[in-house]
Amino acid sequence: MKLSEPVLTKRIPTAPFGDPKQRHTVGFDEYVKTGGYQALEKALSMEPTAVVNTVKDAIVRGRGGAGFPAGLKWSFLAPIDGGRRYLAINCDEAEPGTFKDRLLCDFDPHQVLEGIAIACYACQLDTAYFFIRGEYHHQARVMQKAIEEAYAGGIFGKQGLLKGKSKFAVDCILHRSAGAYICGEETGLLEAIEGKRGWPRIKPPFPAVKGLFGRPTIVNNVETLAAAAHVVERGADWWKGIGTQSRHPGGMPSFGPKLMGVSGHVNRPGVYEAPLGVKLSELVNDYCGGMRNGKKFKGAIAGGVSMGVLGADQFDAPMDYDIGRDYQVLGLGTACPTVFDEDTDMVAVARNIARFFKNESCGQCTPCREGSGWMLKSLLRIERGDGTSADLDLLLEVAGSMGLTPGTTICGLADGNNWAVRTIVNKFRGEFEARVKPKFVPVYVTAGR
Amino acid sequence: MAWTAKPSATQRIERRAEPYVTAALQAKWTQDILPKYATKHGALMPILHEIQHEHRFIPYQAMLEVAKFLEITPAAVLDTVTFYDEFTTEQLGQCVIGICQSIACEVCDHKKLLDHVRQRLDLEPRETTDDGKFTLLTMECLGSCDTAPVALFNDVLHEKLTIEKIDQLIDEAKAGNAAHGHA
Repeated sequence: MKLSEPVLTKRIPTAPFGDPKQRHTVGFDEYVKTGGYQALEKALSMEPTAVVNTVKDAIVRGRGGAGFPAGLKWSFLAPIDGGRRYLAINCDEAEPGTFKDRLLCDFDPHQVLEGIAIACYACQLDTAYFFIRGEYHHQARVMQKAIEEAYAGGIFGKQGLLKGKSKFAVDCILHRSAGAYICGEETGLLEAIEGKRGWPRIKPPFPAVKGLFGRPTIVNNVETLAAAAHVVERGADWWKGIGTQSRHPGGMPSFGPKLMGVSGHVNRPGVYEAPLGVKLSELVNDYCGGMRNGKKFKGAIAGGVSMGVLGADQFDAPMDYDIGRDYQVLGLGTACPTVFDEDTDMVAVARNIARFFKNESCGQCTPCREGSGWMLKSLLRIERGDGTSADLDLLLEVAGSMGLTPGTTICGLADGNNWAVRTIVNKFRGEFEARVKPKFVPVYVTAGR
Repeated sequence: MAWTAKPSATQRIERRAEPYVTAALQAKWTQDILPKYATKHGALMPILHEIQHEHRFIPYQAMLEVAKFLEITPAAVLDTVTFYDEFTTEQLGQCVIGICQSIACEVCDHKKLLDHVRQRLDLEPRETTDDGKFTLLTMECLGSCDTAPVALFNDVLHEKLTIEKIDQLIDEAKAGNAAHGHA
């Protein structure tokens, strides 16, 4: 499965359509010359609700990880009451293995800004905060420059969108985070913009009703907004022609092209644009030039470590939003797989992921704060060879007790930890068992009464 | 770890006569930062970024002054400072080496790099050399997994690192050529 033409990577040369060496940051003038801001012009000729309906019809599922349809999210907004309404753009791309939004910020920032302007018009949001992670120093500078260019070019600013073509005026502000993975959670992100620690809020109220500074707020991923601009320009039917239907009756389809960042043991790691539903094996063999050094495929992180791993027999898993249901992982996530070859120590992989979640747990909910530390400790023990088989059971028990799925935490961070560790232990159990000492636990059975 | 408890009740604060938050800075922030946010509290993170960039840490005295300027409690400032990894209460070295230790970098041999820097500078992660030149940090995913292993030298990302490459970068920083500001 391949795209007939590049969409999000139209101006970012990417194999098979272009040579990544030719990449450069597209400035305002070049962007406009190559057909930029025409989607915004088209949007402004429509009623705001018509723009929302187009995105809703196309079923643009969120590209940030959860896959929630953007149009539906937009339609949840509280009615206009004369007060301020916000858009928060989530560029807190800190999920290990994920680097797709960086590509858009690096090389085609105006594509993102056009999506922002369209979303602001469609939902009548007057202020947009571009929330970028602290470690993206270069990207923050590129985006800041692009925002200034967009103001100078009349996109944002007091005169109204697109040099006053619409009276509706939008401000766009860059907000740099400072190194906290949890701020990628939408309400944690809002807390961070408010200057507080990034502790996720209890929902409801949802941000669309009560978000930033207590006002209605939409939080969208960078890639989602960039995609929405293309949907508005070319229509919902074009979008639905790419990607795949759900494999389950009544399931939500996976439409559209998707940026997929492949890393790990492949010959040509990098971001590729492919239709949703492309097989992982296709992505590795056709796009990335196969496994490095001709080694065998052992497993892959489905899309950011939170999603868990695909086992050796799941190489042909299609990368779409049904992957979670069909391949025992949490979901598609950001569609950025990290691929492991046969020499990879899966115990070390589990330990690395557990360490990440222990470092990044915000400490608000006890199961996640304490559980993440316990899991790391037992994995370190197992990796050293000091673990017992009881550790393995404890590990699974602790993992299964934390997150939104068992209903013990406020946000989904612990689910990531839960799924990552459980899927690795379950799919590579032999490797763990070979590392632990057997321990027999006396079990007392009461027979009858 | 974002949530480690600090002994704030018994802590003494180092003070200096001249303020960190000068009248000029206040005027600049009032013009540039405050209008961007609906509340004064909202301006806290951009302000902390500036202080961290300038001093390579956030002195407690500065926290008190920022709290006064933004009309919030000092506890609210401390809360934010201690939560985010990029804000530190101890001064970092002139060159901060942040080696990515997340999954893609680990499977692409970040350990070799880390051990090499550890030995060469005689540093453990989170430590600063005695001359204040280098700080070594292990960082979580820097979002450049396709070019693993990677490391940040102050605010510049270096990709596809090898021991030779990182040695060269350290040599340059030692000679004082790495004139990147800390962001």
